[in-house]
Amino acid sequence: MKVMNAHMPRRRRTLFDLQQETHPHVMCNDGNAHYFRKDELEKLASLLSEDEQRVLLLPIIMEVTSSKGEIIIRTKGGPEEKVFAAILGMPVTCRQQQITLFRPQLTVLRKTLKTTTQYMFTVSRDG
Amino acid sequence: MGTKIVVTRPTKIELARLKRRYRIATRIQKIVKDRLSILIMEFLQTVKECAEVKERLLADFTEAYSALSIATGYHGHVALERELMTSEMTVKLNAGTRNVAGVRIQMFEIERIDPVMARMKNPADTSSVLDHSIERSRKSLETMIQLAELENSLELLGAEINKVKRINNALEYIVIPGLNETIKYLTMKFEERDREEVARLKYVKLLIEKREAIAY
Repeated sequence: MKVMNAHMPRRRRTLFDLQQETHPHVMCNDGNAHYFRKDELEKLASLLSEDEQRVLLLPIIMEVTSSKGEIIIRTKGGPEEKVFAAILGMPVTCRQQQITLFRPQLTVLRKTLKTTTQYMFTVSRDG
Repeated sequence: MGTKIVVTRPTKIELARLKRRYRIATRIQKIVKDRLSILIMEFLQTVKECAEVKERLLADFTEAYSALSIATGYHGHVALERELMTSEMTVKLNAGTRNVAGVRIQMFEIERIDPVMARMKNPADTSSVLDHSIERSRKSLETMIQLAELENSLELLGAEINKVKRINNALEYIVIPGLNETIKYLTMKFEERDREEVARLKYVKLLIEKREAIAY
């Protein structure tokens, strides 16, 4: 699991902090840097208020759970929900602190948010 | 049919160990399959984008070359060459990496392209036709950089897909069936041992009974 998720960031940073930087990036567990596109950050900032920008942690982690054809985004609600709803053009609901997406939606989302989203691979408890 | 894994000691502990390995291998295979499907999805998306950008680049080149030929006709070849030789363009390109499901992909971002006219030696000798041609060339440069990034990511994703596919196939056709076979073999061996034990006990019981019958 550790090897599979070596590309995960050591510490996520808020959109507001990243916007202040010349070269916005986070460090990954494998020691490499993951850079963000400035136009993506600007797009996200245009969708959110300043308070929400201070809350939204980037990259947004998308959990890919095996044996289920869905992608889970763990969030306490708020900014992620708003961003996804705006990009997908449909209401997105956050239940039990998680947003569930399906593969076709993921394609649309990844097309717009290439650097600000990241995959995480997990296995469901039942195997 | 998988290759049978050689077990040094056919013991119950070894069987438990193998069962644990089998469970882990199955779980890993599930994750590997997920990763493979995500990588394929990203690859197909990149292919689509690459085709779009290529079309755009072709259109940009067509426009740039037609604008350049108009400018050449307007200024004359020698004058245009003289102007362009003395002009310069500064491009600030940020290069970094982004991570797609564990694949490090090069990322280029144009930060600034200086307006060319400001760098011209003699603005009086240039015209709007030349400006237009330069503007078109600048646009095609941006598209070219975008295409370079996409083609590079295609190569890297393709190589990673091959690698992950090999791992998946090894797990699916060699490791997991091999473990399964060995577990089956060991289970059968233990069952056989149990049956032998029962038969042996029955035989001993029979012997004891016979001995007791003779004694009486």
